[in-house]
Order: sequence, then structure tokens, then C-alpha cells
Amino acid sequence: MAPALILVVGVLAYPIGWEVWLSFTDFSSAGGGDRRFVGFANYRTLLADALFWRACLITVVYFVVTTAAKLALGTGLALLLQRPSRARALVFLAVFLPWAYPGGVTVVAWYWMLNPPITTAYSAFFGGVKHAVDVVLGGGAYAFLSVALFNVWRGGSFTAIFLLAGLNAIPTELFEYARLETQTAAQRLRAVTLPLLRPYMALAVFLSFTTAFADLANVWMLTGGRVIFPLIGTYAYWLGIGAGRFAEAAAWSLSLVPLLAAALFVLFRWFDPAEEARA
Amino acid sequence: MTATRRWTQRGLLLAAAVYSLFPIYFITVQSLKTPEEDVFGSPFYVAAPTFENYTDLFDTDDEPSARGYVVVPRVPFMVWLLNSAIVLGASLLVTLAAAVPAAYALGRLRPPGWRWWRRGLFATYVVPHTILFIPLYQVVLALGLDDSHLALVLIYATMALPFAIWILSAYYRHLPREIEESALVEGASPATAFARIILPMSRNVLVAAGLFTVGTVGNDFMLASIFLLDRHKQTVAAGLGVMDVSLEELVAVAGVNLAAIPIALLCAVFARGYVRGLTAAMLEGA
Repeated sequence: MAPALILVVGVLAYPIGWEVWLSFTDFSSAGGGDRRFVGFANYRTLLADALFWRACLITVVYFVVTTAAKLALGTGLALLLQRPSRARALVFLAVFLPWAYPGGVTVVAWYWMLNPPITTAYSAFFGGVKHAVDVVLGGGAYAFLSVALFNVWRGGSFTAIFLLAGLNAIPTELFEYARLETQTAAQRLRAVTLPLLRPYMALAVFLSFTTAFADLANVWMLTGGRVIFPLIGTYAYWLGIGAGRFAEAAAWSLSLVPLLAAALFVLFRWFDPAEEARA
Repeated sequence: MTATRRWTQRGLLLAAAVYSLFPIYFITVQSLKTPEEDVFGSPFYVAAPTFENYTDLFDTDDEPSARGYVVVPRVPFMVWLLNSAIVLGASLLVTLAAAVPAAYALGRLRPPGWRWWRRGLFATYVVPHTILFIPLYQVVLALGLDDSHLALVLIYATMALPFAIWILSAYYRHLPREIEESALVEGASPATAFARIILPMSRNVLVAAGLFTVGTVGNDFMLASIFLLDRHKQTVAAGLGVMDVSLEELVAVAGVNLAAIPIALLCAVFARGYVRGLTAAMLEGA
């Protein structure tokens, strides 16, 4: 276990500690690199900042929307792929590709589709779509949608494959009993399949966490590097790298901790129940 | 199954495939276009495919050149490809080399408090590395690893480790103990029993952990472009990420697509093993 622990401590624990300490100072590039201990000042500024609460709201909405979409899509695709059919192997590969294909490429693909460069033949059309969406749903809505779409496309693929593996792990007898005991497919899905899949779903949600809270790269690229709607993660990045206000960026990042901890607590209870309970 | 239901299923399968593949098809179409067709052609197909954008990548000349009014940036693309392969391979090795002993210890030897160790390690997965870049940079500088592939390898490894440890330890936990015991009875040392019996048995789970690593590494370009600044040490992702106007250049699109193909092939080859490995790890509950 030692090598793994050294890696985790060195590359994670130490930076996190450093980040915590940083959030209590006034370190910024404007201050010429001097660091002064300022206590909770950064957090006080943060909590008084309306933008912070807006970012919180958007982050939570983003997480809920994308996760729900990924789970629904993933479950649907997994159930579809579980049924025997001739094309199954091919479609399985197709569904696997959005996740397997490096995100750096596919994000460019989505960027070209949704925000095409001005030179292309269809950029006028998408400009119109963007304008229409933003007028109906408010500024930044199109950017939000495109980021969410990309996240769902890539994450949904992962969820689908993951849940397919989960379905395979459920003993087939259970489905056979279910067939005898229930009348309709919908009933079977609700009473048997979904409850059996629940631990795997919880695990899948867990795995889509980071992408929801700090999906920097994708937000960054799909919005052209501008902060159109602030997610906590992207705004922290912008504060740190863009504006050089390192201490404030640290406070922003760390404000995620309570949210993450609460979610972890719930998820662990679902997919890693105590041994006694299971036996 | 009635005919209608069969057709519904086929329709759904087709829809799933189209939905999954369209963006990849789309970007490939764009990368095969000439600048003229990019402006006047249809977005959905390419009338006169050209590999110009791809071959441009391999010109070794370091100076930018002009084609018409368009300045084509020259990039050391072969070097980048090689760097990417090195980083990916090394990340895989480090991840698996660190994950296997840790998972075996947690799943099999069960030190006191193993459940909390396991949860703790897994919880590190949610730590967003992209937000930690400032302190991470301090660590990298302190270790003298700036502009080194090793820095990136170590960071990628910690990103994939939690998941790898989790599924491997879930698998080891439920492997019947008799397997090792019979090997020990036959006179094998515990180490041999592990290397010759347990490791080969967990092949699929290792594939799953490995592919997860590949997916994680392949997804990143933010960290790569922060930690690698030297043009000749950059990976494809880092290089194209810092190229000016990178996103809107056909060359850039071709470049990333080209780098993606080996990874996508690798994933396609191992896709079945990936699902089997995940299933094997999940068999006794997650």
C-alpha cells in the first residue's frame, strides 16, 4: 500500500494543505508575492459576494441536470445493449467511443458544431440558434446548454458502459423470477431492475462528480475561455490563473468541500454498506 | 418478440449509434476539408477530401509558413506524439504498479481500519486536480520536476488511482482464499502465488483499471498545458492547447484527431475486457 499512499499524500494531501493555508493569506500577484495572514477575510468576502451564491446555484443545477440526464441515458443504453441482437457488438463499440475518444478531441468537435468558427458555411445558422436560445432563456443559456450537452454525451457513454457491467453482475435468476412475478415491463423495471442497479448508479454518480464540479477544460473550451456563467471550479481557475488572485481562488475552491463531503457521505452509504448489513 | 418490437429495438440501436458517433464523424469530416471547402462546403460531408491538414503536421520545418493568406503554424508534431505516448505509457505503469499492491493489501490482508483506508483513498477521486494547480505547481517546483514528463505522470496517476484501487480491491476481496492456499500447499511462496495465479486471474480487472487510466489521461489537456511549457517536451494535448487560435485551425483539428485514433483503437480492442473486468469487480456488490 505504501507506493499508492506516497503518491496520494505527495500529490494530493500536501497541495490541499498548502491550499488551505493559502486561503487564509492575501497572496496575489498584485501584492508582489508577499503573503500575510489575514484569517477568515477571504471567506468573509466570499460569503458576502452575490456572485458566489450565483455560482453555487449554477454548480448545483449543473450537477443535478447533467447527472440526471447521464443516469437516464446511461440506464436506457445499458438496458438496450443488454438485450441480445445481431448489431449489439457494433453498437456497443459505438456507445463506448464517446468516452474512449480523448475528451480533448471531442470537445473540439462539439465546439465546431455548436460554436462554429466564423469561416464555416454553417456558422450563420448556429449563430441564429444561439441568439434564439439566449433570447428565450436568458443570456448564457446557450453556453450552459452546450457545456451540459458535451458533459452528458461523454459522461453518458461512461455511465452506460458502467451500468451494463452492473447489469451483467446481477444474477439472471433474479430477472427470471421478476418475469414470473410481474405483469408489465414497466413494472419490472421499476420494482426489480432499478433497485438492483441502485448501488452501481450511486457509484456512477460518484464518478461523474469531478466533471460536474470542476469541468474546467470543457467549460473553458466551449465558451472560448470567457466566464459566461460561473461554476465554482471555473471561476476559481479564472481568479487564480487569469487574475492572479491566488488566495481568493483557494477560498473559492475550498468552498466546495462541504458540498463534496455531504455528497460523499450519502453515496458511501448507498454503494459501500457496512459488511454486517450485507452478510 | 413481435415484429414491431424488433423494429423498435433496431431503431433504438441505430439511434444510439448515430448519437454516439456523430460528433466524431463530424470533426473527421471537417479535418479532411480544404480551406475553401471549409468556407463554402456542406458541414455534413466532404466533397474533395484532402489529407493536407494531416501531412502539414509532419513537416519538420520549425518556421510557420504561409499558404495563400493563411499562416500555417509549424509544430513538432512527431515529437508531441512521442511525448504523449511516453506520458500515457508511464502513467499506466505507475497507476497499475501502485494500485495492485494497495488493492491487494486492502482487499486481502485487511489491515486494521482497511474499510476507512479504502474509502479515504476512493474519496480522493473527487478532488478536482485542475483546481489544485497552484499548490501542485509548488510541489512540482520543489521536486525539480518543472517541464518534466514525470510531473504529469505522477499527477495523472493520482487521478486514476482511486478508481483502480477500488475495483481491484473489490475483486481481490471476493476471490476465494482456497485459490492461494492450494498454491501454497503446492510449495509456492506467497509472492509466486500472487504473481502466477492471482495476477493472471485479475487480468480483466487490470484491463478495466488500465482503460480507465487511458480515458482519464486522454481527457486532460489543461494540466498538460500548465505543466509542460517547453515546445519539445509537450504532449499533443499541451501543444495544441497553447497554440494560438488553435481551436479554429483545421490543422489543429486534424492533429488532435490523429492523436486520438491510436487511443480509440486501443479502447476498442479492450472494450470487452473492460466490461468483463468491471463486472468481475462488481459481482459481489460494488
